Amino acid sequence: MPLIEVVNLSKAFGPKVVLSDVNLQVEEGESLVVLGGSGTGKTVLLRNIMGLLTPDSGHVSIEGKIISQVTREELFEVRKKIGMCFQMAALFDSMTVFENVAFSLHRHTAMTKGEIAARVDECLAMVGMKGTDKLKPAELSGGMKRRVGFARAIALKPKILLFDEPTTGLDPVMTDVIGRVILDLKHELGVTTITITHDLKSAFEIADRIALLFRGECLAVQKPEDFKANPHPVIQQFLRGDADGPFLQDPPPPKRIVKDMTP
Amino acid sequence: MLTVLLDRTGLWVLRALEQVGDFAVLGGRTLRAAFKRPFDGANLMRQYLAVGVNSVPVVILTSLSVSMVFAVQLHFGFKQFQAEGLASQVLGLAVVRELAPVITGLMIAGRVGSAMAAELGTMQVTEQVDALECLATDPIQYLFVPRILASAVMLPLLTGISIYVGYWGGRLLLVGVEGYSAIAYSQEFYKLVQGRDLLIALTKALVFGIIISLVGCWRGYRTFGGAEGVGNAPTSSVVTSYVWILIADFVLTKMLLV
Repeated sequence: MPLIEVVNLSKAFGPKVVLSDVNLQVEEGESLVVLGGSGTGKTVLLRNIMGLLTPDSGHVSIEGKIISQVTREELFEVRKKIGMCFQMAALFDSMTVFENVAFSLHRHTAMTKGEIAARVDECLAMVGMKGTDKLKPAELSGGMKRRVGFARAIALKPKILLFDEPTTGLDPVMTDVIGRVILDLKHELGVTTITITHDLKSAFEIADRIALLFRGECLAVQKPEDFKANPHPVIQQFLRGDADGPFLQDPPPPKRIVKDMTP
Repeated sequence: MLTVLLDRTGLWVLRALEQVGDFAVLGGRTLRAAFKRPFDGANLMRQYLAVGVNSVPVVILTSLSVSMVFAVQLHFGFKQFQAEGLASQVLGLAVVRELAPVITGLMIAGRVGSAMAAELGTMQVTEQVDALECLATDPIQYLFVPRILASAVMLPLLTGISIYVGYWGGRLLLVGVEGYSAIAYSQEFYKLVQGRDLLIALTKALVFGIIISLVGCWRGYRTFGGAEGVGNAPTSSVVTSYVWILIADFVLTKMLLV
């Protein structure tokens, strides 16, 4: 049985259909990367998996439990097994880095203060953020915030990690750093991951399988090498990063021809 | 024309009912969450500090000012009937029954209720509330319960402070400026006040505290639309709290004084 199963999932906001009959299965220990253009429902997919949104039809099940049908207490038990890394980190800005990472340990474990401090240190070390525990989120850069967000997500030793566009808005070097941290976490913790990203380089490094969402539908779920070779024009256009093709609903303005001004 | 009017009225009524229903549901969830574990003592202490201790200066300042102004008005009014002696008695009754709880309620709605709405609103639009959910923590239990408990405890205490300051404000004016006898003022301020009046004041303060914090948290929790939404949440929280404080004041006065 797959660890995470998305079955015929559909979600609309008013007249706008964001997800339409999406089906996905993620096996234990597998790393799935979800690609797709902006507004194609990638984040909505993650929010449905976390139970932050309720599907219009279809369902998401984790370890066989249907997320939209469990009680709130059962949902919290399921969430303890999932670490969610938000796009903009979503750190609690009134707390220090230490308090952010220790938050779930304080609330959901009977660990002593010393044990919590040791676990927070361990988590921060895993994401390369040791020694920042006294800082407030406002004192951190974008990349540092994301990494503290990762540390907070892994504190309870979850079985599943969800990454929502972890590299968006970061410079190429920091994007690579985040990609490496995700890879390290995957190998060190052996967790099942779903990563939403636009960054193709880290996507091919991280993924065991890659899915592409296009206009609310799941176009392909394949191993990276098969995905690369998939002849579908939308996939090929996405991989090329070209504006011309079927990917965009509205045709882009024609490419301006720059005259050669050299004498 | 009539159809459009009916359509708009119906839509307005539906929206109002939706808001009332949402408020009631969140209120019920807060009540249920108040008895659930884990109990976050540190968070509650932070709220006692924010709602109570940090509000003492503003309560002292407004109570002093209002009681002095009211003493001037009473002295001037009663002087026209050569009944100045009644000024301190009526001042005592007015401060204990009305001025202290209502002024404290309105000031705390402006200072604390708006801050709660802004804080929770910011947390909502920056996904911090979702982060709480993802960390298996009920936002109602973590955010609402300590704020409401702290307000319910602190408002009566602040009202007690307001009554005490009101006594000294009146004394400063009537004894210090108008030349009343200090002993007579001290005896007459509490002459008409009964134990029941103090109980009414504290009951009002308790209800105002719950209104202020619940409305502030509710408005913040339901914030959407980025910076504009966060900007609107405190304004809406203060206006809603003011209206409900005044309505509750009337209802409680009518119920408890009969």
